[in-house]
Amino acid sequence: MIEVEGISKPCGLFHAHIHDCEIGDDVRIASIGTVVSNYVIESHVFVENVSALVADTTASFGNGVELEPVNEGGGRGVTIFNDLTAQTAYLQAMLKHDDDFSEKMGALIDAHVASQTSGTGRISSGVTILHCGEIRNVNVGPSAILHRAARLENGTVNSCPEHPTEVGPGVHAESFVISEGATVDGAAIIDNVFVGQGARIGKQFSAENSLFFANSEGFHGEAVAVFGGPYTVTHHKSTLLIAGLFSFYNAGSGSNQSNHMYKLGPVHQGVLERGCKTGSFSYLLHETHLGAFSVVLGKHLVNINIPHLPFSYIYAEGNDTKMIPAMNIFSIGTVRDGEKWPQRDRRKCRHLRDLIIFEVFSPYTVEKMCSGRDALQALSAETSKEKTFINHGGVQIKRLMLRKGAKFYSMAIRRYLNLKVWERLSSALQSGGNWTDAVASLVPATDLDSPALWTDIAGLLTPRQRMRSLLDAVKAGTISSYQDALAELQRMHDQYGSDEWAYVCHLFSREHGRSVSELTCELAGMLLEEWHEMATSLHAMILEDAKKEFGAQSRIGYGLDLTEDEAAADFESVRGTIETNSVINKLNAEREALEGQYVEWKTLLEKYTK
Amino acid sequence: MSRDEIRDQVFTITAREFGLDAGAIQESDQFVDDLGADSLKSIELVAAYEEEFELDLNEEEALRVQTVGGAIDFFEKLLV
Repeated sequence: MIEVEGISKPCGLFHAHIHDCEIGDDVRIASIGTVVSNYVIESHVFVENVSALVADTTASFGNGVELEPVNEGGGRGVTIFNDLTAQTAYLQAMLKHDDDFSEKMGALIDAHVASQTSGTGRISSGVTILHCGEIRNVNVGPSAILHRAARLENGTVNSCPEHPTEVGPGVHAESFVISEGATVDGAAIIDNVFVGQGARIGKQFSAENSLFFANSEGFHGEAVAVFGGPYTVTHHKSTLLIAGLFSFYNAGSGSNQSNHMYKLGPVHQGVLERGCKTGSFSYLLHETHLGAFSVVLGKHLVNINIPHLPFSYIYAEGNDTKMIPAMNIFSIGTVRDGEKWPQRDRRKCRHLRDLIIFEVFSPYTVEKMCSGRDALQALSAETSKEKTFINHGGVQIKRLMLRKGAKFYSMAIRRYLNLKVWERLSSALQSGGNWTDAVASLVPATDLDSPALWTDIAGLLTPRQRMRSLLDAVKAGTISSYQDALAELQRMHDQYGSDEWAYVCHLFSREHGRSVSELTCELAGMLLEEWHEMATSLHAMILEDAKKEFGAQSRIGYGLDLTEDEAAADFESVRGTIETNSVINKLNAEREALEGQYVEWKTLLEKYTK
Repeated sequence: MSRDEIRDQVFTITAREFGLDAGAIQESDQFVDDLGADSLKSIELVAAYEEEFELDLNEEEALRVQTVGGAIDFFEKLLV
């Protein structure tokens, strides 16, 4: 007997034409419209009411299909296959300048794909396939559930018992790979698409030539030529994501981009660095390159190019694109995003394919802020007081906000730097050493020549030098298999902590004009005070931002035709109060913890200053 | 700088930033509820005050000021 939908049914073959198949134990195959052909069907599999389950002897099951993400006009081809990761897709798509690397990486991938494919289809153990249309040239991994899918052709549904993959009602999928723990349902239409681990595609979403890596979500809308790095999320109808590189991205309803200028075709592309959001009915004219954690509101008819100005707030005023730099550093939205991503990592497989560094403030973003600070200071110095706005990177920045933006970047840089130094210093001091030994232990043991230059390989933050070493190793043949390349990427991920510390020490030298090995008690005290001031100030601004959610403007529309007291009660019953709000309570607790940390470190330092 | 001079400048800057006539501003006006200041406008306003009064303000303290009159009091403490 085998159980499905809570009912035990007898194993065996019933109303099914079976051709060239190998069938394991405890399998039920029943009510097949035409034929089950050329499949290995492992044990404990349930297949019932399926039009056809057919594999051609030449099938590759979606492996080896080349997509054209980022640029709809082509040129950034990515081969999809079972073991594709966000990082190896990025290496394929975004490093086209290096012909030698592209060719050799392509050869590694081709060899890997060839070793993984077979001319026979496979339905792995524990799979349920129920009430589906034609399934042609599709491999299905362990414990996957295919339920009422309309048509599946040329693909693989990877799955694992710890996190079964689901393909649900009405799905049309062609030339695809779906990864472990993903869900594709709700009459989604996917064509030339890779779906990563824990990703969710549904509610009539349609996508072509697109990649959606770990924990991405696509509902209702449409995607074309999208490289959706981890946590690329679009939930709304009328949202068209097109020809872009995204990660940790949230698309508001009606978000739209233009890649076709009615000249040489749809050849334009956009890059929204990690953490960006586009508000309702926002429009971006590609080419676009936005800095990390930026927010876009409104319609923008200019090409925006401000990767060095992260945490920006870009808005439209008439036909003008305006921008306030650094505003999102103290937005409660940014704080919430940074906390929610790791908490919402749905992946339960033992092997997590995409390598993700979640930190909002990292060497990557902090170094961008350093560039942004310098650029804004220079612009401020050279801009006449007569000017209200200046043009920079396609946007208009209010002159007054140049200095202010530079100040906010400085505050965030110093908060990051001083915190990192103090975390290490306190740890070294608490382990019992004297000051000299503790400071000596701060010197990083690193092989990095350029610790300041980092890159974001679709979720993996790493020094550019490490990426270049990977490229060189592939070109030299030192990395001689796809698995070797994955192992090297894993090492890069595992080295994040030590590489980050090398960056912190480099930044310390730049900011203070001396090596971290020359850190004195006096300077450590200054760093502590500065960290305390910056951290409390930024924290207070975040708290004020959160409290605005309870202000008079937030209360509009509550208590219809009721008295003021009743309106207040209506608001509080729906939205709660400042006192009971969990986010605000958490911020308050963090403020207390921050004060506690400050006192603890100050007390520790006093032992060495007496 | 006298309180009256500070008041005049606060009125002028506030009116300019919100696109209003200085005569339309009152000390009792709340930046958020009456003048419609959001987070962005609040920061821009602080920047405008900073330049006009040639001060480097602590944002945490400055953003706590709720009314135009409060702003006058705030700058009076710093400048008088």
